[in-house]
Amino acid sequence: MQKKALPYFLIFPSFLLAAAIVLWPLAEIVALALHDVNRFGVLRDFNGLDNFTALASDPDFYAALWRTVEWTAGVVFGTLIVSTPIALILNEDFYGRGLARVLIMLPWAVSLTMTAIVWRWALNGESGMLNSGLRDIGLLQTNVQWLAQASTAFPMQIMIGILVSVPFTVTIFIGGLSSVPPELYEAASIEGAGKFRQFFEITLPLLRPFINIALVLNTIYVFNSFPIIWATTQGGPANSTDILVTYLYKLAFRVGRLGDAAAVSLIMFAILLAVTLIYVRLAMREEEA
Amino acid sequence: MARNKFTRSILLWLALLPIIVVILFPFAVMTLTAFKGPSEVHDPTWWPSVWRWENFPEMWVTSGFGDALMNSLTVSGLTTLITICFAVPAAYALSRFRFVGNGAFRQFLLVSQMLSPIVLVLGLFRLTSQLGLIDSKFTLVLIYTGFNIAFGVWMLQSYFATIPRELEEAAWMEGANRWRTLVSVFLPLATPAMVVTAIFTFINSWNEFVIALTMLRREDNYTLPLRVFSLVAGRYTVDWHYVMAAALVASIPVAILFSWLQRYLVRGLALGAVK
Repeated sequence: MQKKALPYFLIFPSFLLAAAIVLWPLAEIVALALHDVNRFGVLRDFNGLDNFTALASDPDFYAALWRTVEWTAGVVFGTLIVSTPIALILNEDFYGRGLARVLIMLPWAVSLTMTAIVWRWALNGESGMLNSGLRDIGLLQTNVQWLAQASTAFPMQIMIGILVSVPFTVTIFIGGLSSVPPELYEAASIEGAGKFRQFFEITLPLLRPFINIALVLNTIYVFNSFPIIWATTQGGPANSTDILVTYLYKLAFRVGRLGDAAAVSLIMFAILLAVTLIYVRLAMREEEA
Repeated sequence: MARNKFTRSILLWLALLPIIVVILFPFAVMTLTAFKGPSEVHDPTWWPSVWRWENFPEMWVTSGFGDALMNSLTVSGLTTLITICFAVPAAYALSRFRFVGNGAFRQFLLVSQMLSPIVLVLGLFRLTSQLGLIDSKFTLVLIYTGFNIAFGVWMLQSYFATIPRELEEAAWMEGANRWRTLVSVFLPLATPAMVVTAIFTFINSWNEFVIALTMLRREDNYTLPLRVFSLVAGRYTVDWHYVMAAALVASIPVAILFSWLQRYLVRGLALGAVK
């Protein structure tokens, strides 16, 4: 009897704390989302889905939602495109590979907030070093106010997002590449397949599960990513670079529309849950294979 | 053959060059600005005319960097300690016992790992303000621990599963009880995994932003990311040379630690995916 209880005793503290930090606030959010809430957070009447309908008539919500799709897709696929050749290169045997790996991993080591703040300065319109650098090599004649309008700020934010997502993705891909048996390539080159065909017919299919995992995990991370946009533009100018997380933060802590903010949280939660389920299925299929 | 490898190295480095330039660019901006004097910060030149080391002590005094550093050390240190104390038994149970709910607990860990602080931040804020725990470093420790436990248990159990059971079984055969076996056989083998998990938990808490931004009010409670952010946000004049000096001092130790450790993370991730 005592022996049976032991494992539960061992996992109990972890379970309790993790559940308290996840489930309890979740219950709070559900309560907020279904009630009329004043700006000091006092729950008034139960109002069903009114908060959700309020969101549905808010053009800012749709703008943020659509921008979240652009942001997530842009960063995730951009990262995939940049990371694949880097992983292939880092998997080769060449002089200084250790150094190259450390350099590629470098953005992972610095907090997103610091990275974003440094970029905010680098992108400064008058004295930013991106402008002076691009002018020095002749790519730019006049200074660009990078963060002053969404048309330049948002692509730059996506670029920063890609840059900080590459290390993790490359890591996953290198793990995948090292599991490809080298005999396959030898056999293929004996059969006369060129490097190009080897890539598409051996490397890519075997890398497939790793690409899937990286896509899903990156989608979750990027979808949730707050510091890059908050520390560069705070969603501005005029909310034009808001994504759901910054929109949510403003609703909750700037304008005090707590019920609506809770509704946004729940919508995000539903999207995340869907992506997580895809991940679990992919991971399970992986296990069976 | 050697010459072949040499030319290939050059070609591969050339191929990597664009991305490496983009990666190093912000580091260059940070370092060069951190050494510029106040009069030339806004000049669009690359190199500082004089390398101004005084920026660092001046920044330390004017920006309250010391307090923020102490806060970050306290919060991250306590988070790491509690996370390890909670996660090691749980990971041990997952990797050494068969029990009803083992699978369910794994699923729970996975899902709670997916839920980011930002989705829950509003609920967490309400909860802590109802309990009167807002603006406290220890609230931060509690929340960070809650979010790091899933990652910690996951990492640890994937390492623990690679420690051969036969060693422990051999000790039992020789008459050692479970506790003796744990202390003299299992824990010494598990120490590297615990150290690595501890360091990653530390770095995670060290870099966290959203929860700190929401929960902390008084400036003397600020952690480093928040401190540096507050030097930039909502100000008309920003002393960028101090900001970059602060960012540099706050980032470099962690960056070195991380570069040294990233291969262990790679292994942990790979094991976690397979197991």
